[in-house]
Amino acid sequence: MTALLRRVDPYLKIEAYDPEAELMLLHFGPQHPSTHGVFRMDLYLDGELIVKAVPHCGYLHRAVEKLCEKLAYVQLTPIVDKNDYVAPMTNELALVMAFEALLKQDVPRRARWLRSLFAELQRVASHLLAIGTLAIDLGGALGGGTTVFMHCFRERELILDLFEAVTGSRFHYNTHTIGGNRHDLPEGWAKQAKDAIRVIRERLPEYGALTIENRIFQQRMQKVGVLDGELALELGVTGPNLRASGVDHDLRRDAPYAAYDEVKVNVVTAQTGDCFARAIVRVKEIEESLRLAECFLDGLPEGPINGGKPTKMAVQTKVPVGQTYVGIETPRGELGTWLVADGTHTPYRLKIRPASLHSLSALPYVLPGHTVSDAIAILGSLDPIMGEVDR
Amino acid sequence: MNELIHGGLYGGMIVGVLMTTTAMALWFERKFAARMQSRLGPTMVGPSGLLQPFADVVKLLQKEDIVPFQADRVLFNLAPPLGAIAAISVAAVIPFSADIIAADLDVGVLYLLAIGALGVLPVFIAGWGSNNKFALLGGMRALAQSVSYEVPLVLAALVPVILTGSMKLSAIVEFQATHHWLVVWPFFLGVPAFIIFMLAMLAEANRIPFDIPEAESELVAGITTEYTGIKFALFYMAEYVHTLVASAVGAALFLGGWDGPFAPGLGWMVAKTLALFGFVYWLRWTLLRFRSDQLMALCWRYLVPAGVVLVAASAVWVVWVG
Amino acid sequence: MTHEPAAPAPAAPRPRTVDDGSNFRHPLYQVLLDTPGLTVGTAAVDDLLTWGLTNAMWIFPMATSCCGIEFMATMASRVDIDRMGSFVRPTPRQADVMVVAGTITTKMAPRVLKLWEQMPEPKWCVAMGSCAISGDFYRNLYSVVPGIDTFLPVDVYIPGCPPNPEALMHGMLRLQEKIRGQRHGKDFAPKPDAALLKITQPSIPRLVEANRPADLSAAQERASDQPTVDEATPALVVAPEDAPEVAPLVANDFEGLLKEVGVTELPKDGPPLVPAAHHLELARRLKALGYRQLVTIAATHWLAGRGRKGAVADEVEHFEIAFVVRTVGAGSRTAAWAVRVLPGQPLLTLSGVYAGADWQEREQFDLVGVKFAGHPDLRRIMQAESATSFPLRRDHPADAPCAPWR
Ligand code: SF4
Repeated sequence: MTALLRRVDPYLKIEAYDPEAELMLLHFGPQHPSTHGVFRMDLYLDGELIVKAVPHCGYLHRAVEKLCEKLAYVQLTPIVDKNDYVAPMTNELALVMAFEALLKQDVPRRARWLRSLFAELQRVASHLLAIGTLAIDLGGALGGGTTVFMHCFRERELILDLFEAVTGSRFHYNTHTIGGNRHDLPEGWAKQAKDAIRVIRERLPEYGALTIENRIFQQRMQKVGVLDGELALELGVTGPNLRASGVDHDLRRDAPYAAYDEVKVNVVTAQTGDCFARAIVRVKEIEESLRLAECFLDGLPEGPINGGKPTKMAVQTKVPVGQTYVGIETPRGELGTWLVADGTHTPYRLKIRPASLHSLSALPYVLPGHTVSDAIAILGSLDPIMGEVDR
Repeated sequence: MNELIHGGLYGGMIVGVLMTTTAMALWFERKFAARMQSRLGPTMVGPSGLLQPFADVVKLLQKEDIVPFQADRVLFNLAPPLGAIAAISVAAVIPFSADIIAADLDVGVLYLLAIGALGVLPVFIAGWGSNNKFALLGGMRALAQSVSYEVPLVLAALVPVILTGSMKLSAIVEFQATHHWLVVWPFFLGVPAFIIFMLAMLAEANRIPFDIPEAESELVAGITTEYTGIKFALFYMAEYVHTLVASAVGAALFLGGWDGPFAPGLGWMVAKTLALFGFVYWLRWTLLRFRSDQLMALCWRYLVPAGVVLVAASAVWVVWVG
Repeated sequence: MTHEPAAPAPAAPRPRTVDDGSNFRHPLYQVLLDTPGLTVGTAAVDDLLTWGLTNAMWIFPMATSCCGIEFMATMASRVDIDRMGSFVRPTPRQADVMVVAGTITTKMAPRVLKLWEQMPEPKWCVAMGSCAISGDFYRNLYSVVPGIDTFLPVDVYIPGCPPNPEALMHGMLRLQEKIRGQRHGKDFAPKPDAALLKITQPSIPRLVEANRPADLSAAQERASDQPTVDEATPALVVAPEDAPEVAPLVANDFEGLLKEVGVTELPKDGPPLVPAAHHLELARRLKALGYRQLVTIAATHWLAGRGRKGAVADEVEHFEIAFVVRTVGAGSRTAAWAVRVLPGQPLLTLSGVYAGADWQEREQFDLVGVKFAGHPDLRRIMQAESATSFPLRRDHPADAPCAPWR
């Protein structure tokens, strides 16, 4: 949306709002069925209208960045897995790509294709979960929302099965290493993956009917939580949330990494910037990701999957002095790693740039003027993952 | 005296049957929902999980009874029984068959609407008495919703009253048995009135898509947020009884009640009620939830005007045609 | 380990032991047992009540992180915990089992305890996943509770990272067994193995351990009763120093801009260091040039004698704050620059240029301790408001205790 909306003042002084109004302060969270984890919003309510929203995060601050300073480079992939726990593999990718950048390590072509293939499947799984939880937010744990949620999870299990076959774990895979991948595809995996993709593609219209084509869903989501594109950029909102605001930006196409420079990525955008646009972008991205996954599966080259030098001990992998930033497009947006290396076997400083934290920082701008019910829809449509927000 | 015994006997019977039916309805709903979600639902407690609702009740009976600090003790404790009573007492006037009816009041429809309207009182009391912000928001929403939906409810209920010329529920059913079911003829009055009636009844009973007073994803558990054990059970039960009774009333007013070929009247009534009940749950597990202002808009913009038109049209129909 | 200063404790806290749940008797239960006719069938009554308890265990989901996702998967179609009559109640008042699925941090722990206390007896607690059991690999870090059994009486531990849905289902079935056994007088109290305990000793003693100080439980209880203070804490206001007037920058690309501010050569060992005076102006110009997206802000703490080039003998302690911005659309480019500040010296905030800098700077303030002058809302964001340290400084120990939770 190009027209600049009047910006809400997120630092509104409550005393300055209206001395006559009797505001109610509602502590929303940190343990609430629809805060998507542990997240708290302090909502100042005038009746049911939100006057001011103060988000509080950090309830899941697990000090990952401090932990990274203690451990050797090769020990870090399983640690960062736990950040964005809905798409764990993308965390690993962002991390090892930063290491590879400083090490000037080449990655074999097959490994790059595998990485992209996994990333796309993760995107499907992650978006399925996002739509399912959004539906729960709108429809309640004892209502139609759960039906959508259950169906989404049913399909998500198919993808988790695929990953389990490759890595032996349902999630938290620890499969990317410096210079390539740890696990190659097992026998018959391609066929299994093809089947899963076909099944999900067949069932996608079902979700469409239950969500984006549903009148109630549309009424609840349209014109709610409009996020202006320019503001979204300033806030650093990325991924589907940004594209729903009409900004045509996708790192897979605009700054390609892994194997994305060898295929054509169609970027899905929507113009209105409201919750409905965010939902629709996610549904469409599932389709696109399925197509890409199939494409990567068909064109998967033969060859080695790891170009790294084998080392005997973790401490032998030393990254030369330097600083770098690497960002990749995860299901939630740009996940980046700012790495400061001092030539030893541990990072000196490692900052993870989470996509969800930036999405949440839009809340104080978007929430005022909406009701509590809308707040749920808005929060759900931003699809935050608290593990990534708080790290 | 005779009447008292009659009323007491059938009343007790109906309450007993209602409780069992509620328990079965709970089981039915859980299985039904599970199948809609490609799950199995309860399987481990009794055959096909049939005993699940009883296990729930036995457990709820044993839970600690907590009254939150600083809650309004009197109101807090008063609300659940009041809610259950309000829900059950509506059942008194439902004609289950030509002679199974606890109290065949001359003003049955009026009684029904009056007691039905009372149902919101315990909900609001609970919301206020819990001293919990989520409960209070839920209570406020319930109040606004019930007061609004009372209007289309009354208007829709007036249609069968006008068409049959009686406020006595047995007479209304009798009329349908001798003439036509109201949804069959005059269908252009009966069907819309039936739909409005069911929608308004759903809204009164706080069922999805109208369950905003206890929207779990927004208000934690709404009015019941602070209730534990047996008190929660009462609320829970009241909700189901309310839906069940609403289905029964809908069946009696519009679908000809006990009227039907071959089977005995009671069988027909139960079948119709359960069919409506099942439909309600089908809706519940399919649809999402409205926002409160959209709910109000639906009521005042569409249902109320439609109701007024229907009432006027029924009057015209009765005078000139019927 | 420092405990909170002892405030006048209002009442003796309820003793919390591992067997909490089984000791509770509902008055109704007693009435049933006391009724003359029923005493004959006490065992039968007891069995009936136990049957009810074990077959309708409603779950309160304390799902904080990754394990929460597997917890959700347990609700979903493939495993479907509804088969055993369990489903999720969003309010603690109506739940029987609290499943703690995920990491519990020191900021969250008081809330967890509070929620636990809001649950009506009889109640049980299941620790799902290594994080809940022991803190997993976060165990020694400053913000993570090393196992929830340091403040909650846990009944069933389900190991795994994360445990599979099947494992959670299995855990719930074991819990049923345990309840049944307890009702029949079987002893399920854990018998800690002294040797094992020594190895797995968390930073504070568990509830079951004999050497647990009594005032620790009291301190935990008090902390959970405290109202949340976050909102009341005023934001730190750092007034901007009188910066020298800088001439507006005019160049049309990043390299040109860097030349203008005096950086002639791009350094190999990191982003170009920009003088603090030009920092804001540079950002403003870059934004006008199309770098519209704020990517990240990362502050690094360099101890004395260390620097971006490695060990430098005469280097003083300082911070390097890196900024990354990005152009949007096809051929997206990033631009990164860094500013060097000395400890205690504030840097002008970017939040007037990029709104997103607000939270980023708050995070760097919270974790590294860099101050930003003119920031509209400089409060802690990740740690609790009461925290006093800046953990991402290199001289901060990773496992600083923070009583009463770790
Ligand atoms: S145990 Fe593992 S999966 Fe579970 S919360 Fe901890 S890190 Fe996440």
